[in-house]
Amino acid sequence: MKKKELRRADFITSVLLLLFSVWIIMETLKMPMKDTFGGVQNVWYVSPALFPLIISIVIMVLAAVLLINSINSGGAKYFINNFSVRYRGISEKKFRFISILLALLSFVYLNIPRIDFFISIVLFLTFFISVFYFDEENLLKKLTLFYFTGSIIFISLFAFGISKFLNSYYQYFMDVLALFFFTIYVLYSWINVRNSQIYRKRLTISLLVAVAVPLILCPIFRYFLLVPLPKEGLIIQMMHNIYYFLK
Amino acid sequence: MFIFGQLSVFFQQIFILIANPINVLILFGAVLLGIIFGAMPGLTATLGVALLATLTYGMDTSTSLIALLSIYVGAIYGGSYASILINIPGTAAAAATALDGYPLACQGKAGKALGLTTTASAIGTFIGMLFVITMAPLISAFALNFTSFEFFLLAFFGIIISGTLTSHDLAYKGWIAGFLGLFMACVGRDQLQFYPRFTFGLNELDGGLEVVPVLIGAFGIPQIIQVLKDKIICGKAKRVQKILPEFTEIIHHFPDIMRSALIGVGIGAVPGIGEDIAGWVSYGAAKNSSKHPERFGKGEISAVISTETANNACIGGAMIPLLSLGIPGSPPAAMLLGAFMLHGIQPGPMLTFDRPLFIFQVSAILLLASFAMWVTGMLLAKQVIKVLRIPHPLFMPIIAVLCVIGSYSLGLRIFNLYLMVPVGILAYFLTEMEYPIAPLVIGVILGPMADANLRRALMVSKGSFLPIITRPVSLILVLVILLTVLSQTRWYKTLTKKIVKKLFAKKKNK
Repeated sequence: MKKKELRRADFITSVLLLLFSVWIIMETLKMPMKDTFGGVQNVWYVSPALFPLIISIVIMVLAAVLLINSINSGGAKYFINNFSVRYRGISEKKFRFISILLALLSFVYLNIPRIDFFISIVLFLTFFISVFYFDEENLLKKLTLFYFTGSIIFISLFAFGISKFLNSYYQYFMDVLALFFFTIYVLYSWINVRNSQIYRKRLTISLLVAVAVPLILCPIFRYFLLVPLPKEGLIIQMMHNIYYFLK
Repeated sequence: MFIFGQLSVFFQQIFILIANPINVLILFGAVLLGIIFGAMPGLTATLGVALLATLTYGMDTSTSLIALLSIYVGAIYGGSYASILINIPGTAAAAATALDGYPLACQGKAGKALGLTTTASAIGTFIGMLFVITMAPLISAFALNFTSFEFFLLAFFGIIISGTLTSHDLAYKGWIAGFLGLFMACVGRDQLQFYPRFTFGLNELDGGLEVVPVLIGAFGIPQIIQVLKDKIICGKAKRVQKILPEFTEIIHHFPDIMRSALIGVGIGAVPGIGEDIAGWVSYGAAKNSSKHPERFGKGEISAVISTETANNACIGGAMIPLLSLGIPGSPPAAMLLGAFMLHGIQPGPMLTFDRPLFIFQVSAILLLASFAMWVTGMLLAKQVIKVLRIPHPLFMPIIAVLCVIGSYSLGLRIFNLYLMVPVGILAYFLTEMEYPIAPLVIGVILGPMADANLRRALMVSKGSFLPIITRPVSLILVLVILLTVLSQTRWYKTLTKKIVKKLFAKKKNK
């Protein structure tokens, strides 16, 4: 980050930190200071509020120092002069960041708790590896938007309870749907890269890695380290059947 | 007699450890894994220790210790591969190595440089180990005099020192990071009255933030984001010839090795200061003491030896405050502390009583790891180099999966993942704005200790803060904290400048 931008960021963070420290103080004041808690008469120096209160005061002081420094070094001025709500487009770097966030957030908050862990990893890796491995801005944007649309559809299915309804017909319906989305994603990628031999090769490698990693990791964690996986659905159940059949 | 007794216990530990072939296998396996982690730009020693901590959770304590310390030693050494061969430091610890390592590789001396750094790293680790075995019990014995006030101040001391020294921008940004870490440690039910603090009514937060997922998030996620966002591209690795160094060369550079090892241990012992700073300081010292400083930056062997000795000696240095005071000396040591806690080991002054053999065990493992690192480095260097060809977009997503499954498997809680990701994103933004992460992590780890000890101390003193200045150790800690804080103020800097000017003026007049 350039010095000017750094000072602008300092200005914003110092204001946020000041607000944050005020919030901590407000929360700590709700804690028992001299009242009784759990039948124990409190004194101020044993209160659970004491330590957070000290921390919040220190953060407040440091944030104030940061604020003063950012004002003196022109950070506040730079922030005000460059403050604009005008849309200036998204640079490639920002889009890469958005793609990373999309991959991580959809993996952790959407897929892991609800879809078979094996399929979740395959979906995550296929998207995450392919968008960056192609190393082409246009493809990055297209694939990210495609994956984002798919994630929105899945969020709607879960949020409106449609997933429960579908799972009542077949318990792994959502897993099948996730596999379907994976297939569509691969097909869409294939259509986009079909004219380039390098990209076709990269897509194949991405798919191989995306399948090989859970194929190695899931059995290690499930049967060697005895870790029950977050969601054991269609594929993990199949893996159980094979494992216990062989055993 | 006492020394012989100690030595016999130390060698006993070595024999116990190597008597089990599985331990030997894990030792070499973890060292190799560490070298691979270190060699790949984007992967760090801390991340390696973090990911392995989750895998060793089910193992017995000594086996997991072997794995964790070996990966730590291997990763710090492994960073030199990428520095020398492609001019991109594999880890921050090897950043200074690239300055002269890459020019050496361009001159066709990559093999020689790797051979010498391998030997220097092994000697550095060995010297660090010597300091662990001698200094840690002494500091532990001294720290037995500590009472609650000292333990409370120790947390502040760790944050202020590491915040000041690791911050690349303003020192107080490091302090802010540290206090944010302390705040994060407040989340959950407090230890004395069991009152829920900042839990938002969520039962999952009652137990507080689990340290390891928070550490994995703080170190792993920013690394993944940075590498993929900034498109770090590796160049083609230089060719490597004969690696085995000539021992006359090692003897010739022995003063460099000794000086750098001492610098490494010293810097490692300061809370939160990592191997990267040890490398840079050692590089500077080597340049200043060299007869040919003009050769530095153009492929000077002594520069490469100095940085690599120092960063590996730093491991031993970082273990000293970790084992004796419970304060991590470097970011990977912070991760190690988290792993120790998982195995029910609480480092600190009581460690010598709770587990009298623990320091010997750690020292024995460091010695074995340095040997394993040397052997692995000599035999497999040419093979390990091949990992540098793997493109980042292929392995960073795999690291993300390992972070996720590792964080989850520790408590079998998906909630750990819900914490890991926001902590990681927060750590990424903080890093972008040049806030160091080491103080934040130290804050998260030492927060509960500071909180409970402050209130315990005040209970004993009936609410009086006076013992802080009446107890000698706490007074020293307070003075160091105040001095460090004051040293960052403008008037202090101008005052010291004036004093220095006056002193020199007097000397000149004389």
